[in-house]
Amino acid sequence: MAQPQAAAPRLAPEVAARLADHLLAAADDELVLGHRHAEWTGFGPDIESDIALSSVAQEEIGHARLLYQMVLGLQGRSEEEVDRLAFGRPPQAFRNAVLLERPNDGGLEPPPEGEPAWRGEWGFTIVRMVLYDRADAIRLETWASGGHAPLAALARTLAREERYHRLFAETWLERLAAGGPAAAARLQRVLDAVWGEALGLFEATDGEAVLVAHGLLPRSSAEQAERWRDEVAALLGGMGLRPGRGPAATGGRAGRHTPDLAVLLEEMTSVWRLDPEARW
Amino acid sequence: MKLAAIVPEAERVYAVFRQETKSEAHVHVGDVHAPDPQMALVLAKEQFARRDPCVSLWVVPYTAIEASGPEDAEMFQPATDKSYRFGGSYREQQRVYGRRRGA
Repeated sequence: MAQPQAAAPRLAPEVAARLADHLLAAADDELVLGHRHAEWTGFGPDIESDIALSSVAQEEIGHARLLYQMVLGLQGRSEEEVDRLAFGRPPQAFRNAVLLERPNDGGLEPPPEGEPAWRGEWGFTIVRMVLYDRADAIRLETWASGGHAPLAALARTLAREERYHRLFAETWLERLAAGGPAAAARLQRVLDAVWGEALGLFEATDGEAVLVAHGLLPRSSAEQAERWRDEVAALLGGMGLRPGRGPAATGGRAGRHTPDLAVLLEEMTSVWRLDPEARW
Repeated sequence: MKLAAIVPEAERVYAVFRQETKSEAHVHVGDVHAPDPQMALVLAKEQFARRDPCVSLWVVPYTAIEASGPEDAEMFQPATDKSYRFGGSYREQQRVYGRRRGA
């Protein structure tokens, strides 16, 4: 898909640098969650959902690529460096929200009847996906109505695929929540456990106020979080679930991660590290 | 006959129909397993619209399909030559059916 080349307004260096930081965080979100989703390939609860989530994973990684390219452009670097930017950084240089690096088991014990092939908690994956994709939709809308034409155009393009991600996740959550008291209780436990880290999705990157002041971000992260809380509360309420409580668990946007990210990166970058100069 | 009579777990199987362009008919392209029609539609999108063009999808529960049985196949065989009824010699028919047959 060719990106519309709207007359790119030249940004002041300070603004361009802040925007690059902001977009790097979003790109890292998409890459890291895309990798977690991809870990379900071959292990989904049914073949149809396995294929669908694998497809979503590819799309998230594709979105990360487009965002990394925009970051490189804002930093005056070549788009050729995109693999190095994605795979060549240590964990502390990643700016994704911590929620997204968590393994797919969600830190939960296998169910009592735990089959040997238990590869994770599908309910955790779906809850995380619902919470993230609602946040992502609000972020894309904010970019789309912002004053940087190339970013607004990209946001409208990405939103087309994100709409399906939301539909998939919310359709699944609704059915899991209707699966009886034990299923609902397990989902509620996940929601309560991840709530603080979900709010961490709205941790602002350094200097976000500059982007708000220049009209690139018509809504600050804090304002986006308010809207997200309302939307998510209504969505969960309709399924007999409730939002969690407590303050945001932040740090990811400042490069403070859990050991889970190092493990993820070790695996995700293993092929690239064999020969970083190789052309694929 | 009810198609559900010969399809295992028919109450969980949905036939998927894909429309490639707005001017073409929805064509049966395969099936998905799903607990309900909404989920069937969500799953059908990635199974059947990710590698081919699509402007619209339908899902239909197998339990809703009334079908001719194998023993009815003879019924479709004419007793005398009916080739004069075939539309193949008309240019417009060739355009419509040829494309549908992948010609």
